[in-house]
Amino acid sequence: MVSGRSLEATTALITGAFGAAVIVSSLDNGIGWSAAGVESGTFPLIVGLVILAGSLFNLVQGWLHARAVILGPSEFRRLATLFVPAAVFVGVIPLIGMYPAAALYVFGALAWHRRGSLLLAAVAAIGAALALYLMFELTFHISMPRGALGTFFGF
Amino acid sequence: MENLEALMHGFGIALSGNHIFLMVIGVLLGILVGVLPGLGAPNGVSLLLPLTFGMQPVSAIILLSSMYWGALFGGSVTSILFNIPGEPSSVATTFDGYPMARDGRPTTALATAFGSAAFGALAGVVLITLAASWVAQVALAFGPPEYFAVYFLAFASFIGMGGSPPIKTLVSLAIGFALAAVGIDTVSGSVRLTMGIDEMVKGVSFVVAVMGLFGIGELMIAVEEEFHVKAISSRVEWREVFRTLVGLPKHGWALLRSAAIGCWMGITPGGPTAASFMSYGIAKRLSPRRANFGKGEPEGIVAPEAADHAAGTSALLPMLSLGIPGSATAAVMMGGLMIWGLNPGPMLFVEQKDFVWGLIASMYLGNVVAVVLVLLTVPIFAALMRVPFFIIAPVIVIICTVGAYSVSNSYLDVMLMMGFGVLGYLFKKLHYPLAPLVLAIVIGDKAEDAFRQSMLMSKGSLGIFFAKPLVTTLILLGAALLLMPTIWRTIGRMMPRSEVKP
Repeated sequence: MVSGRSLEATTALITGAFGAAVIVSSLDNGIGWSAAGVESGTFPLIVGLVILAGSLFNLVQGWLHARAVILGPSEFRRLATLFVPAAVFVGVIPLIGMYPAAALYVFGALAWHRRGSLLLAAVAAIGAALALYLMFELTFHISMPRGALGTFFGF
Repeated sequence: MENLEALMHGFGIALSGNHIFLMVIGVLLGILVGVLPGLGAPNGVSLLLPLTFGMQPVSAIILLSSMYWGALFGGSVTSILFNIPGEPSSVATTFDGYPMARDGRPTTALATAFGSAAFGALAGVVLITLAASWVAQVALAFGPPEYFAVYFLAFASFIGMGGSPPIKTLVSLAIGFALAAVGIDTVSGSVRLTMGIDEMVKGVSFVVAVMGLFGIGELMIAVEEEFHVKAISSRVEWREVFRTLVGLPKHGWALLRSAAIGCWMGITPGGPTAASFMSYGIAKRLSPRRANFGKGEPEGIVAPEAADHAAGTSALLPMLSLGIPGSATAAVMMGGLMIWGLNPGPMLFVEQKDFVWGLIASMYLGNVVAVVLVLLTVPIFAALMRVPFFIIAPVIVIICTVGAYSVSNSYLDVMLMMGFGVLGYLFKKLHYPLAPLVLAIVIGDKAEDAFRQSMLMSKGSLGIFFAKPLVTTLILLGAALLLMPTIWRTIGRMMPRSEVKP
């Protein structure tokens, strides 16, 4: 179970960390006024400070006024069943390439929910990969990543 | 009169077979992304963007804007028939649209929605026709300080009127600015904010952000809420459509008021979502049939729909004449304009007359095409909603991945997109607005350049923003908008609590 309070805090910490990173990184570019005008780090520095200050405010506000529970166990499970396979799909693209990854993803989704036979799932998976290929590679000449597997087979 | 002539010229461009075909394709694709939860107008337009690079800019913008109209209409279909808003801006349509459809009058609900939507869109386009070139003319005299003031005003109005918690809006906006600054600085040429990753020199594309924030993020919200599709008959009875449309003038006052709210929220970037909620709220407060709201009251459909479409359409006015997009989708389109080599802003009206007036004329035609097509295709797209979500979800994830990758053939963009997805989910869940972030990515560099050029002009003195009446007015107006939430809260505290909260 995830409480509203911890969700608010997590988000504020993420944005705050980003703000801090922006501040640190902007210092490399020079701050303030030089002969050539406003130095290129100035604007990011201001923006970073705004993000950091705003995040601190949201952290305190979120801690004080958050709703009790926003994510119950069943919601969390549903989220995981979407996000985990999606992350795995994205994660394996550099290894096996876009087309096999997409096919496996569709196959996995259909097989997991047990609607229809595995054969049907396989057909849908190959169909999805083929549709991607026809749409992007052939029609619009956008080349998809082949992955280590593709390089191994010399694509 | 000059405008009318230009508009006629525009119709000459828009009324070609090729362009009508693009409108039909655009509207159909738009309805598709509008109907599918997890895919919306900003995503759809971003996905189409790479495909437009080989086109004439005017053809490309007709395709993209038609998709926008289609998406606005498509979002209402699912709101009414399934109680599932396909677009954030059609959430308010579910309040009365779904109850009316559930009570056995789906055709009336749909026709009321589409009729008011068309009226709202028409109001927006007429406003653009009459005012856009005038605004552009005024803006021609703008120097960097005026531009910075206008950007400031736009961002301030997000914070003051967007309806989300102001500090959350500010953080969202500032993150967008920081992301816009990543990569090569346009003024000095130095490399900024790459965080040690060499590939980040190319910057963060707004398309990648949109795919993650609106695509993956929205999908996670949709899967978490696990909707149950309760089928309502999606057969359209044409006689009822005509009867409803003929009866719409009954709600004339509500239509006008909602369209006016929509136009205002579209021009000052409050966005269609805020517009539809605000319009619904005001209609509920002012209507004599207040008690019927939420139970299928026609005015409860008229108000959000007219405002939503008026805002969506008029969001293109500041984009064309000032280079400031009024909504997330308009921001994506403006990104497209820049990629096609056009410079959004007042010079468009001087240098690209064909483009501007072709687009404006196509907005009249595109909305007519959209109303006809959406009525014809309701049953088809309603059937699409019966495809189980576990099949749709992977397809949308794959589409977003491919969309993010194809921006610059970079796997880093795909990783970034997943990051934006998580951020988009958290932001949506906790009421951080997403549109300011996208807007800031698209125009952040321009705002920064305007600021730095102003500083060069004044040799580093902020006094330049208070040197001329126009700049000073704009800056003060912006400051007033920034303080609006605080002022309202103070007034609210001082007023005795006589009114019962709805």
